[in-house]
Amino acid sequence: MTSSPMPAPTAGQPAVDADHAPKDAGLQPGSLVSGLPKAAPGETMIAIDAISKWYGEFQVLTNCTTKVAKGEVVVVCGPSGSGKSTLIKCVNALEPFQKGQITVAGTKVLDKSTNLPKLRSRVGMVFQHFELFPHLTITENLTIAQRKVLKRDGEDAKKRGLDLLARVGLGAHAHKYPGQLSGGQQQRVAIARALAMNPVVMLFDEPTSALDPEMVGEVLDVMVELAKEGMTMMVVTHEMGFARKVADRVIFMDRGEIVEDATKDEFFGSPRSERAQTFLSKILQH
Amino acid sequence: MLSNFDFSVILKSLPYLFGQGMVFTLSLTAMAAAGGVVIGTLLAMARLSGIPGVWHLAKGYVELCRSLPLVLVIFWFYFLVPYIGAYVTGSSTPIQVGAFPSALITFTAFEAAYFAEIMRAGIQSIPKGQTAAASALGMNYWQTMSNVVLPQAFRNMLPLLLTQTIVLFQDTSLVYVLSLTDFMGAASKVAQRDGRLVEMYIFAAIVYFAICFSASFLVRRLQRRVAIIR
Repeated sequence: MTSSPMPAPTAGQPAVDADHAPKDAGLQPGSLVSGLPKAAPGETMIAIDAISKWYGEFQVLTNCTTKVAKGEVVVVCGPSGSGKSTLIKCVNALEPFQKGQITVAGTKVLDKSTNLPKLRSRVGMVFQHFELFPHLTITENLTIAQRKVLKRDGEDAKKRGLDLLARVGLGAHAHKYPGQLSGGQQQRVAIARALAMNPVVMLFDEPTSALDPEMVGEVLDVMVELAKEGMTMMVVTHEMGFARKVADRVIFMDRGEIVEDATKDEFFGSPRSERAQTFLSKILQH
Repeated sequence: MLSNFDFSVILKSLPYLFGQGMVFTLSLTAMAAAGGVVIGTLLAMARLSGIPGVWHLAKGYVELCRSLPLVLVIFWFYFLVPYIGAYVTGSSTPIQVGAFPSALITFTAFEAAYFAEIMRAGIQSIPKGQTAAASALGMNYWQTMSNVVLPQAFRNMLPLLLTQTIVLFQDTSLVYVLSLTDFMGAASKVAQRDGRLVEMYIFAAIVYFAICFSASFLVRRLQRRVAIIR
């Protein structure tokens, strides 16, 4: 394990509740990512090539094209119903699409010969509503896919899971059930669960939208740290602070189309499209 | 009027009623319930699979069983299957199945249809996000089902599954049509042998009531304990 430079745990973090606070240490120093292949600069990790998707007659995605390079952090934003969550779910084929192609780490997502479970096991995904398995303990949540999908030995899986759990500051909660944790804690476990699979890419689908405001910070801390460690990330979020801090590029979507695909500075400095300007002025107002 | 009754007949026949009758009833209930839940779960999965042919078959089977009286199916299986067996194997004499295997197969297959509907509701009650999360972790259909969906569905539906098992427990008394000696059959035999119909049937009713009522009570208590915290 390599240790990476880490800011001290965020100062002034609000105490979640008296029961959890002493045991919840927040993000811990140490590495979240291990076994990432060395990145050749500029190598494409996700290539989304002209995809279109319909629900019956209704077109939800129109000719979307973009690329995410290895180690790049891309934030996808846009008004609700703009298709941003749908787009990100197409990347690991949780949502099928009818036209175009997506290539993840060299594997075509929509190909008949593609082993989808295998591809998905290499693509971590974090959901808006965490989706931890409520009937399993935190430890079991962290190990089940490692054991069943990657066929890792039970002890190895447990070690890897608990390492990551300690890393996100929740080592003391291993024996609990998801329902006993706060939303922010559950989401950090969900990130650890995805990381336990040694993914080459991480997808985040509005990871902080379902959280109480005081818990957003603890989840973003983990995501910022991941970005710093060089994880390739595609993040659907309204957290423009996060985008400003770590995004390399920002994609703005509206009505199923990618309206703007720009570097962070371009996007926040001088968005070209009127729709992006309107969106930004609305969400940056407060 | 009560002086004409002789309740001592109950006491004398207790070993027979429980040692044979109730043991038979409970074994049949347990085996048919276990088999029924397993087959019912597979039927529910087939019905929800969306695969043409597969789900039609599962739906057809469930609807058929739910539209036939159980006693008819018991008769039908016991009297007709030997001939079908003979036809299939090309034998010249009917293939004897035996009353107990026949009853067990009938109850299992019949109750599977009811358990299937319960498990179908259970599977559908699991949020789509759970299957999405399992898929995103690389689990295939069977891994998702066996590790994520079914354990939760089973727990959510446990009270209903047990309630259906209580119904099954009562229904097993229908094996009297095959002359099998379950609890009801045993009571009936004693009643007719000793001419004590009223005493024996009152006693049988009390026993069935006591067992089913306490079982329902326990199921309600269990219901509160198994709920998964979300």
